[in-house]
This record gives sequence, structure tokens and C-alpha cells, in this order.
Amino acid sequence: MTDVAGAKDNTLGTFGRYAGPATLILSSLADGPKHGYALTKDVEAFAGVRLAPGTLYEALSRLEGQGLIEALDSEDRRRPYRLTAAGAAALRAHLNDQRRVADVGLRRLAAGWGAS
Amino acid sequence: MTGGAERRATRLLRWYPPAWRDRYGDEFTELLIAEFAERPRSWRRAGDVARGGLLARLTGAGLTGHDLEPSQQVKVGLATAVCSLAAFLVFGIAMWAQLTVGWEWAAPSATATRVGMVAMSAAALLLAVLVVLAVPPLAIAAVREIVQRRTRDLRGSLLLAAAGAVVLAVGSHHFQNAWPGTGGHSWAQQGLVPGGVAAFSWAATLSVSSYWAHPGALAAFPAAEVAWMAVSPLALIALVAGIARTMRRLDWSPRLLRYEAWLVGAAAAGTTVFLAGACCWVLAEGSRPGLFHAGAIDVVSLAVMVLALSVARRATGRARKSVQGAH
Repeated sequence: MTDVAGAKDNTLGTFGRYAGPATLILSSLADGPKHGYALTKDVEAFAGVRLAPGTLYEALSRLEGQGLIEALDSEDRRRPYRLTAAGAAALRAHLNDQRRVADVGLRRLAAGWGAS
Repeated sequence: MTGGAERRATRLLRWYPPAWRDRYGDEFTELLIAEFAERPRSWRRAGDVARGGLLARLTGAGLTGHDLEPSQQVKVGLATAVCSLAAFLVFGIAMWAQLTVGWEWAAPSATATRVGMVAMSAAALLLAVLVVLAVPPLAIAAVREIVQRRTRDLRGSLLLAAAGAVVLAVGSHHFQNAWPGTGGHSWAQQGLVPGGVAAFSWAATLSVSSYWAHPGALAAFPAAEVAWMAVSPLALIALVAGIARTMRRLDWSPRLLRYEAWLVGAAAAGTTVFLAGACCWVLAEGSRPGLFHAGAIDVVSLAVMVLALSVARRATGRARKSVQGAH
């Protein structure tokens, strides 16, 4: 497992345009290991987004390179991935940042435009 | 159905570089087969795989700055820079040799063309010096590693580079006698550079020619010369590929890494001067008829040189940035 302290420099902000797919993948892996196709189906189910194969594996290889996920041994060709401790910390920090932004946006919307 | 899907997946997988395929190929194929079963045809998916594959190739060449260890980033970045600079030099030297032909017959009338050609010649000299400084330490380190560790891959790469260099040197020396500048006459020294140097450069880059677009005119050439025009690019590719493969596979010492990174950076600066000189010529005198007229091949060469230099600068920048973290 990757050291949690390593997550500090591995925040998803450095992923640029892959921050979105990376967040979806880490969120999917938060409840257990999954292989590529299972990841695609899970992300589609909870986010309504279909990750195309090239995009999915570009994000997976970057996440693996940063130590935020790791590949598990497999008996067949479908290799599952799981979240590392560093990945969990990075995902938590990123989602907290997003929640702060969402809270501010919703508060301002409520003040200026009324509750929905 | 499964066999057909497997073949389709294997075809799509070819967008990715071999190292990526070794690591992710099996699982990616499985994902694609599952995708095909759900959505048999999708242009969006095919485009996404192609884009991902090209991106993986750029990453493997050290051009995206992601996913590579610092020492690996430096090595592949420098190797990519060397390949780009070699492409630049092939087109640049072909252009420069053509200009030196003109100067053997008459000096250019425009001052900007003279300045441009002097800048190109000075940059070419600087680049030759940098090559002389760069190659021996690299070759010594490679030979030492082969002797100590008996690395077969490295030996093959070094042999490939040496074979390319020998074919290029022998062939260029042979065909330089057909040079339209002086043909080795005694008045060869009246131009900007020694006639022998210009003639050798002309013969080495004879394949960069607009005659490929005019098969009728090409057919009138001596068969041996046309054969050399076809063979010399292969020798150049072998030379550059051998050097790049050696650079990628060699176990570099920190000192050698810093030294070669500095030289490649200096070479990128030298090629910038060369390009500026070429632009001076094209803008000042390229559109006029006569000895210094710029043809379509020169415009294509300039475009290739700009592209090659921008790739080389990007690769060099990323490599130099990673030098500190490499060891």
C-alpha cells in the first residue's frame, strides 16, 4: 500500500482534464476493487457518465503511476484495481474541496434566486 | 463473433505503443470486447481509443510530462529531442547544401541572404562540434555497459547506429562527386564553406528532393543515384533510431545525464539560429528567380524544421526539468 503521506503531492488537481474521470474512478473504487468494464458500468450507474475506453485507461494509468490505485493479480485477462490509502486521502481532499464550492454556490443561489 | 471482436480489439490496440500494450493490452482487449458486445459500432469510441493511443505514445516519448520516473523522463526526453533535431538537420542541411551550391557560382545579392547563410553555416558548425562532444562519452558508457553486463539489447542498438553511420558516410563520400557545385574543381574554395564539406552534406541529404513528385525527371537520373536517394533515408533512420534506443536503454550516470542534457539544450539553441538564418534567406531572396530561389521543397522543409524544433524544445525542457529529480 502507498503511504498516506504521499497523497499530499498527488492531489487530483494535477490531473488537469483527467480530474473528472479520475474522481469518478476513485469514487467507484471506494467501495471495492473493480476491473475496467465493471468500472465503466458502475460510473455510468451512479454518475450518468459513460467513460470511453481510451479515456478510462488514460486515467487509470495516471492514477496507478501516482500510486493512488493499484492493480491486483487476476486469473483471467480482466485485471481489477483497488484504491490505495494515498488514493483514499486524495479523493477525500478533492471531494471536500468540491463540497465547499457546491455549498457556496447553493447558498448564493438560495440568497439571490430563492430556494428551488 | 468472439474471434472477430478479438481481432477488432487487437487492431484498435495498435494505436498504443508496445510498452503500453505489454502492460495494459490484455485487460484493454477484454474491455473492448465487452464494449463491442454492448455497442457493436461507435465512431466516438474508435476516436477515443485513437486519441488515447497517440497520447500514450507522446507520454512514452517524454512529451507530456506524466507517468514517468524522473530518470526515465530525462532519458526518453533527450532521445526524443535527438530524433527531432536529427529530422531538423536532415531538412536543414539539405537546404543549406543547396544554398552553398548557389554561392559556389555567385555570391547572393541581398545582405539578408548573406547574413542568413552565415548564421546557418555558423549554427551548422556549432552543431557539428556538439555532436563530436556528445557521441564519444555516450558510446564509451554504452560499450562499458555492454562489456560489464553483456546487455544484448544495447549491443543491437549500438550496432544499428554504427551500421547506419557507415552506410551514410561511405555512400555520401561516393556520391559527393556528382555534386553540381564544383565537382571537386580547383576553384571549389571560392564559396562560403569548403566544397568538400558542402558536397558531402549535399550527397547525405540527396533524398530531400522535389524530384520525388516528378517521376519523369527522376527516371532520367542515373540508377545508382536514385538507389542512393532511396537507401540514404534508411541509413539515416538506422543511425538515429540506434542512437535513440541506446539513449533509452543505457544506465546513465548523473554526471553524464547532466552533460548530455546541457549539450542537447545547446543544440536546440543552435538549431533556432539555423532556422532564423533560413527564414532570412526565404524572406529576402527566396521569391526571386535565380540561384537563391526557394522552391516548394524549401517551404516544406521550413515547415518540418519548425515542427521538429518545437518538439525538440518541448522534450528538452521537460528532460532538463526532470534532471534534478533523476538521482
